[in-house]
Amino acid sequence: MRTLQYIFMTLSALLLATPAFAQGSGDAASIYAPLAAGIGMGIASGLCGIGQGKAIASSSEAVARNPGARPAIFLFLMLGLAFIESLALFTFVIIYLFVK
Amino acid sequence: MPTQLLFTRILNAHFAAPVDALLRTLHVHPTYPEAPMTNAFAMELLVFCGLLLYFVVVRLSLQVEKPTTVQNFAEMTHEFVSGQAESIIGHGYQRFLSYLTVLGMFILLSNLMGLVPGLASPTADAVVPLGFAILTFLYYHYHGVRVNGWRYVKQFLGPVWWLAWLLLPIEIISHLARMLSLTVRLYANMLAGGLVTLAFFSLIPVFVPIPFMILHLLVALVQAFVFMALAMSYLSLSTSHDH
Repeated sequence: MRTLQYIFMTLSALLLATPAFAQGSGDAASIYAPLAAGIGMGIASGLCGIGQGKAIASSSEAVARNPGARPAIFLFLMLGLAFIESLALFTFVIIYLFVK
Repeated sequence: MPTQLLFTRILNAHFAAPVDALLRTLHVHPTYPEAPMTNAFAMELLVFCGLLLYFVVVRLSLQVEKPTTVQNFAEMTHEFVSGQAESIIGHGYQRFLSYLTVLGMFILLSNLMGLVPGLASPTADAVVPLGFAILTFLYYHYHGVRVNGWRYVKQFLGPVWWLAWLLLPIEIISHLARMLSLTVRLYANMLAGGLVTLAFFSLIPVFVPIPFMILHLLVALVQAFVFMALAMSYLSLSTSHDH
């Protein structure tokens, strides 16, 4: 418990100290922007992958159960994938436009 | 001066003065008066000329006994588009086929141009997909009003009258968001495909970028289809009668 307390105290001291380091080399926001871009894009594409995986899994199951409905399922799958993908692409566009 | 492709440079070398004069009459001042035409515009012009030539050739070579290769291709395209339109829009889809076919083929050709060395994808520039999206927006609202008349407004008011004050702003925002999402989907897909290929090309220029180019090819086909299918579904929503 005592160790954990020390660790958190050190971390808070470090977090307080970073603006002081950052002031030396310009704006603080511009230093963290690439980091935020990487983390944000990682979250966006990972969750997009989960969503598309669920969509593809259930659509292939549906085709296996009822092969006659293939064209309709294909159409819904394509539209759904496009909608899911566009959410990750919004993140990409925001990063591309605002992070230099 | 921005970097120009060969075709853009040729166009700007010959037509810069009349285009500048035209833009000045419209009170638009180009950033670079010696190069008023952007790469995207030049590529769009190329696609436009290619499609015009294609349709003229198809029309001139139509025959029943011995269909040519071009005619077979045109029939294949027509069958694909009308099959999709029939399954999405349903009754009365024939009226929209010309717009949907041209939209799909224009986007497909624009997307595929990015894979040819010396050419660029015009759809990787945000204004080109925005143009398609605005045109589609105006087109489906026009047909909604044409089919439903003044009752088209009822689609925006929701199912019950006492919720109309809440649903009207939501519907208006969602229709405007359709335009945004159509634009950003096509633009970001094309831009990201090009950037990924470029990134791997800068790491290892031999063989490694090829899988990403194939992926970009697939994305180009799928995005053209998706844009067309979404235009169809918006058309079907706006022209449907509520019973």
